[in-house]
Amino acid sequence: MPEKYVRDKTELKGLSRGRWKESEELEVSVIKGKSRWAQDEDDSAASIAQRKREKEEQRRAKEDRLRQADAQQVHPSTPVDAPGANGDVARPSKRLRTHVDTHRPGDGHATEPQLLPFPARRFAACRDVDEYERLNEIEEGSYGLVSRAREKATGSVVALKKLKMDHANDGFPVTGLREIQTLMASRHAHIVRLREVVTGSTWKDIYLVMDFLEHDLKTLLEDMAEPFLPSEIKTLMLQIVSATQHLHSHWILHRDLKTSNLLMNNRGEIKLADFGMARYTSQPPPPKLTQLVVTLWYRSPELLLGTDTYGAEIDIWSLGCIFGELLTRDPMFQGKNEVDQLSRIFALLGPPTRENWPDFRSLPNAKALHPLLSSSSASKPQPQLNFPYLTTSGHRLLSSMLSLNPSSRPPHPRSWPTRTSQRRPRPKPKEFFPTFPSKAGQERRRRRETPNAPLRGEKVKLLGVEDFARESFGAGGGILAGREEAEERGSR
Amino acid sequence: MAPITEVEHLTNPLVTVEQLYSLQDDDRNHAENGQSVRYAQAVLTQAAGILLRLPQDVVATSLVLLQRFWVENLGQGHATADLKIASEASIYLSAKLSFTPVSPRSVCNVYAYLLSTSSSLPFIGCPPPSAATPPGPQSYYVSEGSYEREREKILLCESLILSSIGFDVHVALPHTLALTYVQALGVSSRKLVKRVLEHLNGGLLSPQLLYLTHQPNALAVAAIYLAAKEVGVKLVDGNWWEVFDVEREDLGFLVLAFGSFVGFAAAEKERWENEREKLRELLSGGG
Ligand SMILES: Nc1ncnc2c1ncn2[C@@H]1O[C@H](COP(=O)(O)OP(=O)(O)O)[C@@H](O)[C@H]1O
Ligand SMILES: [Mg+2]
Repeated sequence: MPEKYVRDKTELKGLSRGRWKESEELEVSVIKGKSRWAQDEDDSAASIAQRKREKEEQRRAKEDRLRQADAQQVHPSTPVDAPGANGDVARPSKRLRTHVDTHRPGDGHATEPQLLPFPARRFAACRDVDEYERLNEIEEGSYGLVSRAREKATGSVVALKKLKMDHANDGFPVTGLREIQTLMASRHAHIVRLREVVTGSTWKDIYLVMDFLEHDLKTLLEDMAEPFLPSEIKTLMLQIVSATQHLHSHWILHRDLKTSNLLMNNRGEIKLADFGMARYTSQPPPPKLTQLVVTLWYRSPELLLGTDTYGAEIDIWSLGCIFGELLTRDPMFQGKNEVDQLSRIFALLGPPTRENWPDFRSLPNAKALHPLLSSSSASKPQPQLNFPYLTTSGHRLLSSMLSLNPSSRPPHPRSWPTRTSQRRPRPKPKEFFPTFPSKAGQERRRRRETPNAPLRGEKVKLLGVEDFARESFGAGGGILAGREEAEERGSR
Repeated sequence: MAPITEVEHLTNPLVTVEQLYSLQDDDRNHAENGQSVRYAQAVLTQAAGILLRLPQDVVATSLVLLQRFWVENLGQGHATADLKIASEASIYLSAKLSFTPVSPRSVCNVYAYLLSTSSSLPFIGCPPPSAATPPGPQSYYVSEGSYEREREKILLCESLILSSIGFDVHVALPHTLALTYVQALGVSSRKLVKRVLEHLNGGLLSPQLLYLTHQPNALAVAAIYLAAKEVGVKLVDGNWWEVFDVEREDLGFLVLAFGSFVGFAAAEKERWENEREKLRELLSGGG
């Protein structure tokens, strides 16, 4: 049966009337109110012109709002009644009236407003996971179990992610709630679409139903014979950045950006996934955010130094790490632990100084670094990033994303995507991307040992001087050692 | 100004005609007037939110979640044991989603107090003036054992709410939108703004489930329209609500609903004041 939305207000009134009869008069007065205005109108030419100007202004304000609303697109699991699609009277409950014509001020009457369907959605109980038939397991990550499945009714192939329900003492785990809430709120061309949430036999069996994508970037990079071309990397990065930008402009921090959480289909399209660490934030940021976010290799220096007030900059750092990884197919900073991670970062990018990061000393773990930094560092020249196939502007962008000081990282300049796409190399059109065999579960993947996203409830380690001393002096290289040394130590 | 706490997503999922009809049918199948019971539950929820020092938007969210839950989980709400638990679960859940989570223990304590004879809720607490000894804290003490049992129920109900509403926990509220509209209309009257917010907050408790039948823009516009008439502020000429995408019939419906709420609330208060015991039992779940 086609869903009908409340469309006739008399229907509505009939339903909820009960004790409300007396108020019918009020409605009459509302309508009367209108006619009174009509009479009161001062029809002098000046006031008409004035009204027109006002109307024009209002219209522009409205168009702006619409553009905003537009950017948000339609809710994933929304059964939108396409007007006339099923031929019967069911029409969407609400219509958004909009002027799409570009109406210049002062040119007389506005054309008839055009009607666009309003994205009406309903709320409904979760369906059962039995609506789907499981095909194969894709991957066990740190928080969920993902499998490929087929919707029985439609035959469409989806990814089912089972939520882990570890912390039942406080009821539904807040991480799972946030994962669903933030993903549901994020409708974007480069964010994986959450179709619905379904339940299994007990209340602890909750599954996210997402569009299925053939690859994740991590597996793809491991299996590719050649790295992506610079033009391809540009296309990929533009998509990743646009997704992140969308999140940030909606006050969502992803907090676990890394190649395994970036999905890709065979049409060169990237979709950001795994919102298991995501949350809403605010300006100023909420106090006491957990530092245990972001997989170690993609974790920013301020997090490693123990900050608990942070913002979108931590995601930008991770983007920088992803950028570098796309260039070489190797994660940039493969630390064994927090201290090692920091020392690898400093080895490649130079240590923080009073000039480039004035307040880093006030961060909780910075004391431990003090003796090391005050001695040798200041005089050394800043090392330069060096990627053979990267243009100068590419280098500049990468090193700004990887600024030690979070406030030096580029926030999302709106013009960035257009500017970069005009420079050479031009981003490769998605359609011209090579396709790759999808490994998604059909055969067991070769897996490299990589760290997982931090677990909620894990102890936050406050780094001590000894940790740094051991790391820095134990292996002989010191915290400021060159990259080769750092890599050597890492491979043991 | 308050910090921007969350993105203002523009729309909410709306109730369908079928859902509303079933709600009406369901109400008919029960002895107790459904609107009355829902109203009492909403008042209880709001009072709990205030005692838990939750920000207004968190309380508002819990009220809307509770309404969505009612609609999708018909029959459950009338089973008396569930009224309090559902209210507790919705408060607990919306606080968990916010920047100000609360513990199940404080939720239990607050509800025990609100449903005790010492309650500060005007139509639940026993009228103390005549009572020889005013009821003391022992009347709302929650033992460890009963806390454990209650927590289990709350957490179970939390999951029930979530799966009943398809995890659609986001609630777009009209309050900020209304302030923006007032500004856009070029009015600056404290009195007007105050009245607008009163209508929007009253609307949250309305038995007509206004936050499920209309989008925030319509709620905001109707509250402004009514408030302007009440406080005598003149707004711009013409059908200004159309600028905010609100149709005349929606406006008329909502203005009626907002306008009649005060009368409804007064009648409910009077009614329950004469039946305190019954209400307390109904809400706390006689069994
Ligand atoms: N929608 C999807 N389509 C295809 N594969 C997916 C999809 N979602 C996740 N995966 C695969 O499952 C892996 C783990 O999923 P993810 O959401 O990152 O969970 P976890 O929290 O366990 O890391 C991903 O790295 C990817 O390989
Ligand atoms: Mg993952």
